[in-house]
Amino acid sequence: MSGSLEATAAISSSAWPQRLANFRLIPRIDAYPVVVNFAQTIPGKVLLLALFALGLRFATGDWIPLSLCLAVMTFVPSRRRVLLTAATLVFTFVVPWTKFSHPAYASALIVFVIALGAILFWLALELPRSVVGRHPVFILLTAYSLLVGFAAYFPNTTRLYLTVWDFTATFGIYLWFIAYSLLDVCSKDRDDFSLQLGVYRPFWGSTATPIAKGASYLRRIEARDPQQLAVAQLKGLKLLAWSLLISLFAKYYMELVHGYFAIPAFGVEFIRSVHHTADPWYVCWASLLSQFFEEIMAISIWGHRFVACARVAGFNALRNTRRPLSSPTIAEFWNRYYFYFKELMVDVFFYPVFLNYFKTRKKLRLAVATFAAAGFGNAFYHFIRDLKYIAELGLWRALAAFHVYIFYCTVLATAITISQLRRRHPPHPGFFRGRVVPAFCVSLFYCLLHIFDYTERTYPIREHFRFLAHLFNLNF
Amino acid sequence: MDHREEIRKCLKELLLLKGDKQPFSDDASLLLSGRLASVDAVEIVVFLEEKFGIDFAKVGFDQSLIDSVDSIDSLIHSAKN
Repeated sequence: MSGSLEATAAISSSAWPQRLANFRLIPRIDAYPVVVNFAQTIPGKVLLLALFALGLRFATGDWIPLSLCLAVMTFVPSRRRVLLTAATLVFTFVVPWTKFSHPAYASALIVFVIALGAILFWLALELPRSVVGRHPVFILLTAYSLLVGFAAYFPNTTRLYLTVWDFTATFGIYLWFIAYSLLDVCSKDRDDFSLQLGVYRPFWGSTATPIAKGASYLRRIEARDPQQLAVAQLKGLKLLAWSLLISLFAKYYMELVHGYFAIPAFGVEFIRSVHHTADPWYVCWASLLSQFFEEIMAISIWGHRFVACARVAGFNALRNTRRPLSSPTIAEFWNRYYFYFKELMVDVFFYPVFLNYFKTRKKLRLAVATFAAAGFGNAFYHFIRDLKYIAELGLWRALAAFHVYIFYCTVLATAITISQLRRRHPPHPGFFRGRVVPAFCVSLFYCLLHIFDYTERTYPIREHFRFLAHLFNLNF
Repeated sequence: MDHREEIRKCLKELLLLKGDKQPFSDDASLLLSGRLASVDAVEIVVFLEEKFGIDFAKVGFDQSLIDSVDSIDSLIHSAKN
């Protein structure tokens, strides 16, 4: 009797941590055969789409056209890629028509930019031995940099001044999407331009960073049969539920932290520090930690929503943000925090350098390629993204004001390089030493580095260091 | 050790470094499914360069080329031919 009790106790004690590890707030419905089978039937698809539309209703104002596009793509899977292009065009020109202040003018600029993308794509395809054919992305980025320089020095007394800046801004919005389609030129199974167009700011939403990358990636992750489609859609439904849950949590979290506890927002606290009126160091810590946490929640909310829509459309894309706070290394955090931005940097900057230079010197090769992506690429992306500073300050003053972010990129690239060069070991089996301690150290590093990611570009780097020192009760 | 065995060993080691002890089949997607990341793709590239003399600057690089044991094996064969 006592032996059997001990055995039961032993089983339950060993089973509980496992059960806890397996616990899911949102059940893994995509792994239940009954649910997957049901999702392949017409009533199942209708129910899934209805639930998804209901979720979208709480997430975005454009939930009706978005749901309709997803429904069409669900019921006509054989034409998915063509429908993707159609849906993207609807969301480029029709849905935002009333939101544009000058709809015809804005649409004309977009058409012009897309036409330029098409010309570049065609040139790279038709002239593979030319400079454009061999280095299409380099040509694109160089041309855009020259355009930004041209706009910066364009006389602001002329009537064309605003048009030049509007065109530069519109081109900037599409820049990285065009880059992905140019990367696809070299693929043996590349899509023609009509299908590339489907991922030029796809209808499921995107920032300047292409979420779900380009046409090449979509070809690889597209659902091939009804079962794969059902699994992808169920995963999409789960991800949207996550997005809504985080959104709900973030709402009450903000009220609690900034309302009940009256912890100032990081921007406010930083400006107080600049004016030598900062709150005590522990309040600054609370403000910084809160901001760091809020940014992770914010990126998760919109990233999950975009990827959820892509999944329901039939593309089993990876999540944009995946448990960054449990990352065991600095390189892993960068991979998990904003996956598609990291992928963009890797595809456009890392691989071209890594595959072509310093092939015989392994460590130098990795370091240079990492600096090209996390350092140069990261700084370049953000400098040309925030055109308002260039328009307001001029090119050189904007570059000078960018020095804090350049410092941020340099530290980040150095840390990622060291993280990658360190000899990799399997994770320590202990929960505390293997998971908690590394994750805490990595998160703390990124949290402190975040002080230099505050890109208002108004204050010199000294002020950022002052805030950092104040966190440790050192004042100067 | 044949090609496939060497590829399997390399991929298994990379998965173990991430604490992933789940088995994988030869056609299982590892990079596009997220089980391996771009850091691991770099390790695979170096492994293929050193072991099989593949020059990705000439072959052209795409993650799908090194996504599974099968795809790596066919890449090695096509590079040899």
